[in-house]
Amino acid sequence: MDGPVADGEGPRTDDPRDLLAAYALDAVDDLDRRVVERLLASDADARRELDEHRAVVAAFTVDADPPASLRDAVLGRVASTPQVAAPGAGRGDARPGGPARAPRRWVVVAAVAAAVAAVAVPTTLAVQARQEQVRLQTQADAMASMLADPAAEIVRGEMVGGGDASALVSGDRVLFSVTDLPQAGAAEDYQLWLVEGEGMVSAGVFDARDGSAALLVDAAGSAGVAVTLEPAGGSPQPTSDPLVILET
Amino acid sequence: MGASAVADAVHPRTSRPCAAVGSLGQTGRVPPVRTSEPDALDAALAACAEGDPAAFAPVYDALAPAVFGTALGVLRDHDHAAEVTQEVMIEVWQTAVRFDASRGSARTWVVTMARRRAVDRVRAEQSRRVRDQKDVDGRFAGGGHDVVAEEVEQLLESAAVRRCLGSLTETQRESVVRAYFGGLTYREVALELGAAVPTVKSRIRDGLVRLRDCLGVNRG
Repeated sequence: MDGPVADGEGPRTDDPRDLLAAYALDAVDDLDRRVVERLLASDADARRELDEHRAVVAAFTVDADPPASLRDAVLGRVASTPQVAAPGAGRGDARPGGPARAPRRWVVVAAVAAAVAAVAVPTTLAVQARQEQVRLQTQADAMASMLADPAAEIVRGEMVGGGDASALVSGDRVLFSVTDLPQAGAAEDYQLWLVEGEGMVSAGVFDARDGSAALLVDAAGSAGVAVTLEPAGGSPQPTSDPLVILET
Repeated sequence: MGASAVADAVHPRTSRPCAAVGSLGQTGRVPPVRTSEPDALDAALAACAEGDPAAFAPVYDALAPAVFGTALGVLRDHDHAAEVTQEVMIEVWQTAVRFDASRGSARTWVVTMARRRAVDRVRAEQSRRVRDQKDVDGRFAGGGHDVVAEEVEQLLESAAVRRCLGSLTETQRESVVRAYFGGLTYREVALELGAAVPTVKSRIRDGLVRLRDCLGVNRG
């Protein structure tokens, strides 16, 4: 393009706070979106400013009646559509009263084959290098049997700050994988957790190579997996809000 | 006012079905109707979060028009807007537990979801057309890049929003309206206006801050 605006692709080194209004309008590209979401994950003032911008944007909406048939279609589907877990569930946060819900699984019917392929192809096994070859082989065998399991289920979620997470659930095993994950800071590691009852149990820290990582975990008895950003080396218990929770 | 005439004027170069434009005119309302008290709505959402599907019907009735209206405003297509509405309302059910009344109203929550999905859909369609090179009609297929601010503002049936838009400078209003209706990024808005990117970024932010103050949005 010979556009007169030479700074159209200018550097993105400015204060991400200046992007909050554009973000509230969805007038940002994916890169800017990620920059803003990183800011939001750590900055309560930024979240407050965004909330105000969003209220303004919502005021623009002019209500319109959707097609009448849509109501039955949606109401008919919700009864059989599982819900996500509460944010912070299992971390001792106060939850509204009521019985704890049984873990639910996302059942993928027609999309199973495609979804499994999507998980299997782009990821790298980020198992620790010290692991023995034989253990690698065992894991590979386990993964192969999971991928071949017609009852395997997949759960997906977008991570705060960037990254597409998914969990392939087969029996008691969970293959957690993530793509497009931003690199953790020099003093930080990503840490995977198993959500067990009201607590979280570490499933290890991991690094993203080229933005991808995959971990195979034995998740017997857990209701889900979660990821947090922790000080390098990991923590015994999460010290920050989960970037994603996948209910398995 | 002639709503469909305005809609025609707003999207002179898009070849959308007449039905979509006509229905926009028929369904636009003055002012937004609230079928449920916010407290009752919040309570119904809390019941949904506890897994009670029966609590979802009033939530749907209270929020679906805002979702559909938001999607229609971005997509200008009845069928696409209906699909987005279905996706968003299912998402409302699935993620009811994440609704946090301290961060804003339920209406704002669902409008945010609807807008995000609608804009993503516009962009996906744009890149598909660009890839297929079927669109020879400008850099950006679809979207409202020919939008003239004054005409678009007539679609805003909230008198408060219209009045408050009048409190913006001409350049602020132009940038905000293009970003709102066009599905454009601020960088694309800058290209269209022939203005510098940081300038447009500032105009959008200053514009929304002014609107916030004018509309009395303040979460303290």
